[in-house]
Amino acid sequence: MKKFFLTIYLLLFSFVYTQETIENKFEFVFEPDSLFLRVGETGSVTIKLVNSNGELANNPFYIYGRPRRSLESSPRISDSTGIATVSIKPYKPGKLTLSVRSISQKREDRVYGGMTVQVPFPPLERIVFDNPQKKLYLGTSLQYKTTVFDQANLLRDDAKVELSTSNNSIAEFDNYGNLKAKKAGKVKVVATAENISESFEINIVKNPVRKISLETEKNIIRTGDVLQFSAKTLDRSGRHIKDIPIVYSYNGKAEYGIGLPAAALINSSGKFVAETPGVFTITAQSGGFSARKTIKVTPRNVKKRVRVVGHGTVSDVNTSDLWVWPGVGKHKGKDFAATGTWGANGEAYFWDVTDPSKMAIIDTITVDARTVNDVKVSEDGRVAVITREGASNRKNGFVVLDITDPFNVKITAEFNDDMTGGVHNVFIYDNHVYAVNNGRKYDIINIEDPYNPFRVGRYELDTPGHGVHDVWIEDGIAYSSNWADGVHAVDVGGIKFNEKNRSKIKYNPLLAMAGQGSPGNPVKLAGMADPNGHNHAAFPFISQSTDKFYIIAGDEWGNQFGMAGGFHFLDFTDPKNPKESAVYQVPEAGSHNHWVHGDTLLASYYQGGLRVVDISGELMGDIYSQGREIAFFLSSDPDGFMANRPNVWGTMPYKGLIYFSDMNNGLWAIKLEDDNRFGTN
Amino acid sequence: MSKNMKRTIQLIFVVTIMINNLFAKDYYIYCTAESEDEVALIRFDGKVAHVEKRIPVGVWPVEIEGPHGISVSPDGDYWYLSMAHGMPYGHLYKYETGTDKMVDRVELGLFPATMGISNATGLLYIVNFNLHGGHSEVSDVSIVDPDEMIEIERVETGIMPHGSRLLNNGLKHYSVAMMSGELYEIDAMTMELKRTLSTSPMKKMNKHSGHNMKGMNHSKMKMNSMSHNMPAEKPTWVYPHPNDNFLYVVNNGTDNVVEIDVNKWEITRTFKTDKGPYNCEVSQDGKYLVVTYKSAAKTGVWDLATGKELAKFKNTRKVTHGVVISPDSRYAFVSVEGIGKEPGAVEIFDLKKLKAVTIAEIGKQAGGIAFWKMDN
Repeated sequence: MKKFFLTIYLLLFSFVYTQETIENKFEFVFEPDSLFLRVGETGSVTIKLVNSNGELANNPFYIYGRPRRSLESSPRISDSTGIATVSIKPYKPGKLTLSVRSISQKREDRVYGGMTVQVPFPPLERIVFDNPQKKLYLGTSLQYKTTVFDQANLLRDDAKVELSTSNNSIAEFDNYGNLKAKKAGKVKVVATAENISESFEINIVKNPVRKISLETEKNIIRTGDVLQFSAKTLDRSGRHIKDIPIVYSYNGKAEYGIGLPAAALINSSGKFVAETPGVFTITAQSGGFSARKTIKVTPRNVKKRVRVVGHGTVSDVNTSDLWVWPGVGKHKGKDFAATGTWGANGEAYFWDVTDPSKMAIIDTITVDARTVNDVKVSEDGRVAVITREGASNRKNGFVVLDITDPFNVKITAEFNDDMTGGVHNVFIYDNHVYAVNNGRKYDIINIEDPYNPFRVGRYELDTPGHGVHDVWIEDGIAYSSNWADGVHAVDVGGIKFNEKNRSKIKYNPLLAMAGQGSPGNPVKLAGMADPNGHNHAAFPFISQSTDKFYIIAGDEWGNQFGMAGGFHFLDFTDPKNPKESAVYQVPEAGSHNHWVHGDTLLASYYQGGLRVVDISGELMGDIYSQGREIAFFLSSDPDGFMANRPNVWGTMPYKGLIYFSDMNNGLWAIKLEDDNRFGTN
Repeated sequence: MSKNMKRTIQLIFVVTIMINNLFAKDYYIYCTAESEDEVALIRFDGKVAHVEKRIPVGVWPVEIEGPHGISVSPDGDYWYLSMAHGMPYGHLYKYETGTDKMVDRVELGLFPATMGISNATGLLYIVNFNLHGGHSEVSDVSIVDPDEMIEIERVETGIMPHGSRLLNNGLKHYSVAMMSGELYEIDAMTMELKRTLSTSPMKKMNKHSGHNMKGMNHSKMKMNSMSHNMPAEKPTWVYPHPNDNFLYVVNNGTDNVVEIDVNKWEITRTFKTDKGPYNCEVSQDGKYLVVTYKSAAKTGVWDLATGKELAKFKNTRKVTHGVVISPDSRYAFVSVEGIGKEPGAVEIFDLKKLKAVTIAEIGKQAGGIAFWKMDN
């Protein structure tokens, strides 16, 4: 009966309410007009929808908490006269809102309102100094940092911490937490947040430094080379004072323009890298003493010319990924490539690239899909896997192919189980397919018998809203790209580290940690989140010149101006404490897939074409600005699916050439014109 | 022929054309192209379908985001679009009709799909289909304030919820869940799940179904191929009769449409259909039930009074998808996906004359379809 009357009200309301709004403006009245509740407490508020005379509007309204799932409210709807006594219970701390909206058919008749429900965070419990250094030298500065926890032991970044001292004439903080030691003596350093504080005493001692020296191994470096400066603070007797802070800075004059300043980066440990050639003076300062050293930075001079060796135009559809491999059996001595297609007819093309200048499609496989996003070939060159998305029956998955005769490729099996949302990327390693599917996980499928694939394992994160985009396997470690969860290194049968193995793989510290995982039991070894949420591809990289181990994490993201992003060099030399040390980012284009060959990065850069980048030596800062780009090539084709519009998707080095696929025009093979093969500079 | 006679005929001809033009209507339809990341605006003038616009949607130029469901606000000022793929969550987009400019978007659950807007509350109810959750994850219905584009509530229903429609009075919301085999009723006002019902006519066969159980050929049913815990019915759609007394649920897996009495909450009739029925809609005059047969690539028109199929049209390509009927109950607009790079299509059928009228070709995988307006 109640519902009946409510229905009648609703049906009549449109007319009545419209008349009312002309004469009377409705508004919500909250009694009380705000609430202060702790998490888990229950409060009550009476809400009325009234006209300008304070009379009930005779119209129901909705009640809901914002943000969603932070505030329980009951009932969710008022009675038909426009009044509700609402019981509310907060689940999260913060400034929450109890929102209301009148119910009406016409949008313009709707009235909105809201009241604040202030829910305090749990009281702060403790402040921890991150670097509680208790001795400071007169005349020096040191930045102090703190971390605040509340009674729920949650990190409280929102807590405003004020730093002070007990005597500003001895030592005083600036607004950025830097404590300047002004006079010798003891002083208390105090951190205060709300009603809690933490303090400790520091001793400001006479500064024994009478001299500072500055040394480096080289006087001339190239742009992009990282040079370590070592400053030494010495006392009157020439003894090295080790625990005194040193500040490094630089100035310089560029060798271009008309008196332009030069660009470089120097970090707090004295590592310097220049972006522009010129003359730089590096200064080390401590306690009023300073030392300078001037060096010259020359151009890196790594540029090479690009020669197009071959190009196969695909003019009727978009091209996706590629793979190149040597023929086997009767085709030994020949070379072949496979490319996928995007947003089209579910085709994969097989190419004879034995003579890359005459590359030609020799076979086509068509499956029920609109996008064959990825193509991969097994190490022995006998099996290929292509992905399926956009199947007409929505049963997506991947397809296993026999490619022993690339002129006559045969489908051996389809694998669709629990991959309805589509397989986007795959990798083949040691008779297993790692299939990234449904945007959420990768499944591991045994293809030892290519006619009878079966699932043996699965890797899926458990973070809220997790996703995965790509996976790459090398030496039994799977490197997956997981958007905001960043890169994950997972043991799927990591090669046991053997001290007799003197190859460079010994510098992959993840192998030393491996040993528990297998395709049926993937075990996470390490990872690094991406706070930007752009992680799209990952490639392991043992620097041939420095033996450091990186995971190069590629972005994919776009905005209203087109695709953007870059490649982040995550230093995993210490896998438990990975750090981003450098980034290669073309400002006007978008990063996609990449490959590392020796100390050279091959970067597919969508509208920015193919980029070849020197990543030899230590890597620090903005690689794009350091003159490390060896070459770039804009793959225009007037006969392409989109004419004269480069859009490079993926790349792969093969037999001294660089193959790459262009989404708008097909397959390319290029060569860097130089006496030396591309690689370490 | 005399001069006067000739003039008279000419006059009649001109007047006839003028009258026809005077009463000719333009029907405007929005239809998604899921594998093209486009929405097409189609104008049908009673004879020819014109693709007025192909509106690019989504934000990723090199990823297919999958526009799936579409709905026009009751006042016709906005259209709403579900974009299935995200990272990983999908979004609901809001566009202005006419200008087709994007207004706002809100992130929802996994693979948001079909939606409906309540005539009573003005809220939008959209199922999170969760194509990615296998056959085990229970999903939900998101309730969104389409004015402010904020998600107000989620109501848990079943596995792979699909179809989302409300009674004409706007008070009850209905959806089905493919892998649960259930129909769900949500009170649109209180946002609470109120009732569920198995969509299997088998369970009520003796008592309620018009279907002759003995006459059924069970060997052709898909039970054998199903996992034991997966319902055979796989319901994909629900649509209310304009009188709000009946619902029509499409059982995609068992090739039938069941009629459900809203008050009694039981199956009253079963319509055995062609293969793979997917979507359906009832004409506003309450006479016709139009059902798309996805697997058979056909469209069926049923007489609701007699329970007989009046006509069955073979669609021009495979994978028949959605249907919307003009408010004057005259035309059914059916989206047909196509396969691979084949263009999608909107095929138009005259329900009065029971014949196919015309076709509009749009982007790949034509899917969600919504009626915008009729203009004279």
